[in-house]
Amino acid sequence: MMQGRFERVVLPHLSGAFTLAMYLTGNRADAEDAVQEAILRAVRYFGTLRDEDARAWFLTIVRRVCFTAYRTDRPRGTDMISIEAVPLQLVDHHEQPDTTAERLQVQQRVRDAIDQLPPLLREAIVLRELQSCSYTEIATITEVPVGTVMSRLSRARARLADLLRDVADFGDVA
Amino acid sequence: MTQRMDLGDAVRDALPVYEASPALRAWAIEEGRKLDGEATPEGSSMNRARARFWRSPQWRVAAGLIIAAFAGWGVGSLRPISNGSPSDRLTSELIDAHVRSLLPGHLMDVVSSDRHTVKPWFAGKTDLAPAVLDLSDQGFPLLGGRLDYIDGHSVAALAYGRRLHTINLFVWRSGQDERSNGSFAVRGYNLVHWTKGGLSYWAVSDVALSDLEAFRETYTK
Repeated sequence: MMQGRFERVVLPHLSGAFTLAMYLTGNRADAEDAVQEAILRAVRYFGTLRDEDARAWFLTIVRRVCFTAYRTDRPRGTDMISIEAVPLQLVDHHEQPDTTAERLQVQQRVRDAIDQLPPLLREAIVLRELQSCSYTEIATITEVPVGTVMSRLSRARARLADLLRDVADFGDVA
Repeated sequence: MTQRMDLGDAVRDALPVYEASPALRAWAIEEGRKLDGEATPEGSSMNRARARFWRSPQWRVAAGLIIAAFAGWGVGSLRPISNGSPSDRLTSELIDAHVRSLLPGHLMDVVSSDRHTVKPWFAGKTDLAPAVLDLSDQGFPLLGGRLDYIDGHSVAALAYGRRLHTINLFVWRSGQDERSNGSFAVRGYNLVHWTKGGLSYWAVSDVALSDLEAFRETYTK
């Protein structure tokens, strides 16, 4: 009667969960462990889930595991995300060489800037821009009111715009 | 040199999305299939084997025989059996009322997280005076209250939140047919029952039984 429900409802969010764990723990080994532990918890508490809440529910578990088991709430700088460690993204081959170089440079600057954000602001921006979470979902996942989410996103955007003001104009980000 | 760009695009362009390894994915699918194969009433603190027994056809037949035996003795009403399970009808009504409350617009007659608003509302509608407690600091924010109809009489229902979930607390004057206190898992929902000060309380929700028991501890403290 419940055949395949876990697989159908929760597992589509596995990559999203792993990406979040990567950004919270900073390395693949811890992220794998965290997601594994999150799945064990998800299996245990699966009965409390309503299908439409699956992503926020699962990411909440992942985040809790990351924050409790891997103490990622410590001050930034100790093994937080190492986005330098991954290759820069492939670019369209039709781009002109100078455009490519410029784009890679902007990518690197954006990564550096995101790396400089305080963890809670970085987490909010990753959930919003990379995972396309709604404000409500982010509020659920990070266990704070929606107003706090909006304030964090606004501060994160303002900080990024400031850090990147010599390479990009983001317009009114607030 | 600066160029005009969208912040979201810039972030998406710069940050990689990571893929879970095939090994992790395979393991996750395996864990999911184990769970799906069992189809147990998840969230209950009962162990799996015991949960399976209560839901098994053998148990249903045994329950039927026990009930038939009581009926054969001429006992008029359905009595609590074994560990004091409440009657199926009462738990069914409670679960139905809980599910009904989750339909859009059905949860509350008085929508308020302020207990000083909710409690007087009840005072004007019923002779019941359930303790309306603000438990948001303990993780159970008050959502509101309403009147409901259970087991042949009006009852007070208080709605509390638990993360994304709702706990309905049904309160009525405890009668002579009071059922045993305890925790129950029925149809995938959990119920916790207690009596205090002449009132009968039933908390019903799809949250884990441990959460529901924590709610009782918090509420009765």
